[in-house]
Amino acid sequence: MSNTNVAAGALLAALTWSQIAWAAPPEPYKVTDELVAAATKEGAVVYYTSTDVQVAEKLGAAFEAHYPGIKVQVERAGSERVFQRIGQEYSSGIHNADVIETSDASHFLTFKDQNWLTPAVPEDVAKMWPERDRDPDGLYAAFRATLTVIAYRTDMVKEQDAPKTWTDLLDPKYKDKLVKSHPGYSGNVMTATYALSQLLGWDYFEKLGKQGVMQVQSSTEPPKVLAQGERPIQADGNEYNVFILQDKGVPIKAVYPPEGTSIAYGNAAILAYAPHPNAAKLFYSFMFSQEAQQLNDDFGGLRSVRPDVKEKSNRTPLSQIKLLESDPANVRDAIEEIKQKYEEYFGT
Amino acid sequence: MAHSVDTDQLMGDKVTTAALSADSTARRHVGRLDLSTPLFLLLATVLCVLVLLPLFWLGYYSLTTKSGSPTLANFVRLFNDATIRRAFLIALSMALSVGLFSCLVATPLAWLVARTDMPGQRFVRSLVTASFVTPPFLGAIAWAMLAAPNSGILNNIYRWAFGLDQSQALFNIYTFTGLVFAVTCYSFPFVFTLVANAFDKVPSDLEEASAILGGKPGTTLRRVTLPMVLPAMLAGSLVAIVQAFTMFGSPAILALPAGFHVITTKIWSFFQFPPKLDLAAASAVPLLIVTMLLLWGQRWLLGRRGYTVLGGKSGTPRRVKLGNWKWLAGAYVLLILCVTILFPYLALLKVALTHNISEPLSWNSLTLHNFHFVLFEFSSTRLAIWNTLILGLSTATIATGIALVVAYLVARRAAPGAAFLGVLATAPIAIPGIVLGVGLFLAYANPTFGLYGTLWILLIAFLTIELPAGYQQLSSAFHGVHPELEEASRILGATRLKTLWQITAPLLRTSLIAAWCFVFIGTIRELSATVLLTTAQTKLVSVIIYDLNESGDYGAIAVLGLLLLVVSFTVVFIANRVPVLGGAPPRSGG
Amino acid sequence: MAFVELDKLTKRYGQLTVVKEVDLAIEKGKLVCLLGPSGCGKTTTLRLVAGFVQPSDGQIRVGGRVVSSPKASEPPEARNMSMIFQSYALWPHMTVFENVAYGLRLRRLGKADIQTKASRILQATKLESLAERYPGELSGGQQQRVSLARALVIEPETLLLDEPLSNLDANLREEMRFEIRRLHDEFRYTTVYVTHDQTEAMTAADVIVVMNQGNVEQAGSPEDIYERPRSEFVAQFIGGANIFKGKRVGTDTVDCGNGLVLRCGSGDYAASGQMAVSVRHHDLHLTNEKPSGDLANWTSGKVLRQVYLGSHRDYLVSLSGGETVRAIAPVNVAIPENQQVWLHCPPDRCRALAH
Repeated sequence: MSNTNVAAGALLAALTWSQIAWAAPPEPYKVTDELVAAATKEGAVVYYTSTDVQVAEKLGAAFEAHYPGIKVQVERAGSERVFQRIGQEYSSGIHNADVIETSDASHFLTFKDQNWLTPAVPEDVAKMWPERDRDPDGLYAAFRATLTVIAYRTDMVKEQDAPKTWTDLLDPKYKDKLVKSHPGYSGNVMTATYALSQLLGWDYFEKLGKQGVMQVQSSTEPPKVLAQGERPIQADGNEYNVFILQDKGVPIKAVYPPEGTSIAYGNAAILAYAPHPNAAKLFYSFMFSQEAQQLNDDFGGLRSVRPDVKEKSNRTPLSQIKLLESDPANVRDAIEEIKQKYEEYFGT
Repeated sequence: MAHSVDTDQLMGDKVTTAALSADSTARRHVGRLDLSTPLFLLLATVLCVLVLLPLFWLGYYSLTTKSGSPTLANFVRLFNDATIRRAFLIALSMALSVGLFSCLVATPLAWLVARTDMPGQRFVRSLVTASFVTPPFLGAIAWAMLAAPNSGILNNIYRWAFGLDQSQALFNIYTFTGLVFAVTCYSFPFVFTLVANAFDKVPSDLEEASAILGGKPGTTLRRVTLPMVLPAMLAGSLVAIVQAFTMFGSPAILALPAGFHVITTKIWSFFQFPPKLDLAAASAVPLLIVTMLLLWGQRWLLGRRGYTVLGGKSGTPRRVKLGNWKWLAGAYVLLILCVTILFPYLALLKVALTHNISEPLSWNSLTLHNFHFVLFEFSSTRLAIWNTLILGLSTATIATGIALVVAYLVARRAAPGAAFLGVLATAPIAIPGIVLGVGLFLAYANPTFGLYGTLWILLIAFLTIELPAGYQQLSSAFHGVHPELEEASRILGATRLKTLWQITAPLLRTSLIAAWCFVFIGTIRELSATVLLTTAQTKLVSVIIYDLNESGDYGAIAVLGLLLLVVSFTVVFIANRVPVLGGAPPRSGG
Repeated sequence: MAFVELDKLTKRYGQLTVVKEVDLAIEKGKLVCLLGPSGCGKTTTLRLVAGFVQPSDGQIRVGGRVVSSPKASEPPEARNMSMIFQSYALWPHMTVFENVAYGLRLRRLGKADIQTKASRILQATKLESLAERYPGELSGGQQQRVSLARALVIEPETLLLDEPLSNLDANLREEMRFEIRRLHDEFRYTTVYVTHDQTEAMTAADVIVVMNQGNVEQAGSPEDIYERPRSEFVAQFIGGANIFKGKRVGTDTVDCGNGLVLRCGSGDYAASGQMAVSVRHHDLHLTNEKPSGDLANWTSGKVLRQVYLGSHRDYLVSLSGGETVRAIAPVNVAIPENQQVWLHCPPDRCRALAH
């Protein structure tokens, strides 16, 4: 068998289960002067992320302001694309990335199975993160939480005409008015599609597919399409981009249907073969700091699981939203079916 | 060396011996090693590796199971999968439409430019060339900005002008028709160039013969001139069809939002995790076959009627006087230039300078935010520009160099089996970028080579993709250099390589620069293979534009797109100004 | 020993043999013309000598050393030859001086040396004033001289010329014929000159080699070739001749049928069977009076066409046997068309051809 086939085989093996017994999680680490010095010596950290590029670059800039001499290289793509990229790279023995973050929690199960992560628990995570928002073996933790919401342009759609529930979207009056992102690209939408298919059945998507939706890739894009005025309503898309645009003065509003809103936890981790291990640790720890989490919330409109992050008053508090939680392991099992059904109903 | 036997001792004539021995000492310094055979072998190896290796892996993957035993299962799956069949058919009908419309648009334009007294012909020609510099994917994005049904600038202007409400739209780019339109905008130059050349070369005496027999200008055009350029029209259309059929960027940008796949985007989707490499390889095979058939057809067309003969014998072609029709002609040309160049560039500029596409343009809405973000905040920018430049320059230089040597070996039959090299150098034209991307990934991403994630794999990809363009340019240029010019140099004591460097290359200077620019632009606008082969460290501007498009960051795209255009135009401008190879400008020789 | 020797030189392209077992020995310092119609293999022979073409069989020796054989051939650049091409092959991107100096630069001569040698040759070819011009700015004759200067300046062992005058107009061609001969007399390089023009060959050559269909028909001095052709082809190709086919009937008489019996003054005779007699156009004497006495070497015919050409009249006569012959007669011999005419072939102007 050829080497190439070995590479592809390894890539595919990512899907198959492998039970690895993990030792207890590592001791939480602090940011010490030695760590900063070692990280500064490395000079750079490469960050693969699926967070909106402007938000991610802000995080990078904040880190650079704290630790001058360490450049943050942000590589942003959709969650599924980041997953594809890291898969291709690690299978080919390329180790570019230091820290990885995607909004599809099931990816981290695969990474864990593949032994692609370094165990590391920043002090803040150990202290403040709820048990269910971090890996028991200390390999990753929830960097952000993203809601996938319906949203509409308040100047183009009157409040009484706006959809209130998911099934409202199937109303003929919304035909050719909707924009929607793709589960094959976005982790949030992958998670949301799983949640809604569980809740409403595939029937819902089959009907939605006949509504003439404009299909975009990233879940960051529908709010932008609304801002451009290309479509007035998003059938799904990121909540945080709605907030960002609201802050910029775009007349746009998110809808939290009574059936529930899908939440996806965007985990982050340090990669096993990080080329800048110390800078990676430093950056990873910074990602969970109050400053970074607050920045995510203030500038990025992201939800945080860190208790001391203050949410903006104009946003609906998380506690008042009915959330649809999805088990990453179940999502992982359903990925192929979701993609296949999706193409059947939506064409791509 | 076998022939370095001292000639003097063998000669009887004592008087000349003295004279010649001095000369012979001088000759000993002349580098006389003929490198053409080793060079030939080296090139053959390089080209085989470049072209055949990826194709081999493609074939291997498509015909084997994961454990390596032969199977046709992939093709059976391919054939039974309705989504793949559909993508294939859509791509084919899209490509055929593009070919048809390219021909319909380009032929009148070429006629106006080559055969009438319309003013500004040189200008129009260079502007059409300029639209060739625009990467098609950038054009597609620009047209999404212009003609998205609701936010599109043109639709907004339309609604504003006629006081219509939001539900009215003049254009919808996110449709099959829209895709055909956007692709045609950047494919018609292929037809235009070929047809304009053909018009240039229709000997005027043929037309005069028709006129003297009583043929009116219209009749002459219909019965004599058009049939003469028909093969060029068909051949150009076939090139446009091939381009459209194998294109990845524009369909990815316009077809996916419209909810349909073409074959290239479908292959791309097989790379999503978990990658279906076998299926990707298998679906690349029909794409490859159809492309080869189309190109074979094109070659057959051009080969007929001695069509490839260069340098028509007639001096100035007859020009039709347009009279008052010139206004109509002018409007037509203006429309084409607006649609392909002016509007898209203005749209990019507008989007780059405002926060939002649909925002009306005013002094208050102007912002440098997008420029600030791309140039100072976006951490990929610098690396991507650097990589793009490095790859563009090195691909252009290496590919032109290889193309020159191959064209020489083929044109001068300098080594046995040289024609085979020509075939190898032309072969990649039949390999769609995405297919090559798949092949290269299969061939080089494995641990043996470990080239994935380096610039090398991209360099290899670009060399393979761009070699045919450079080679065709140069091999046709060789027809214009009389072989005796090279023989004169050799008989005076220069080796093949020295002759190539000192005589042939300077004589081909214009063509060399043209080939170089061609390859450079081709590299910069490449997306379909690139998108499969880049990693974070090997980002290119084209790929970050594509990535940004997937998240809808039009402002940043506009800035990067403009940057790409500025760089392309600057490089082309400089390449045409700086005497790269030195020496005086070539003049017409005896 | 000859300087350039072609030994059973053969070149085949697939089924086609373009040069057939050519043997030729060229003495040092001689100018040899390869003369023949297009397609006779003369240019291929020259290119074989130059090394641009590899032989299929046989070999070429220069100064006793083998330079070309089917097994191994020296590349052209190793042969210390020069060549003048039909197109002149002047490099349009170099000035006259640079063109001429190119060969010297390849030989790594010093700057001063190059300057001296180039100037000397430019002077000899009357090109000094044009040294800084580009070839595109020169007339055809000047280009031709640059081409000569470029070839001569490197003092080659062998000089090759491939139809060098075919692109010039008639006047210049005549002038350059003598120029080439003059330069040859001055520099005395062993020279191989290919042409299809008889006059050119006659003017320039020490030795003319007539080629036909890849074979050497005859080689000899210009006078030899003209006066003593040894084949029909040579007789017709050089100077033009009427050929009478016939059978040998005596030691020096040939019966050509229809009452024409020719006694020949020179030539070779076939042992038996068919042979031919050649009579040059201007050696046929025309008269409208029936000759009396011995009718040997006389025949009669009818004037088909007569053209007045100022210095002479050109006749086409149909013989009673049906053949047509051409004759050139003084202006005062004026016989109208369709008239009976008598022709006389003086025996000393009849040359017997064995084949």
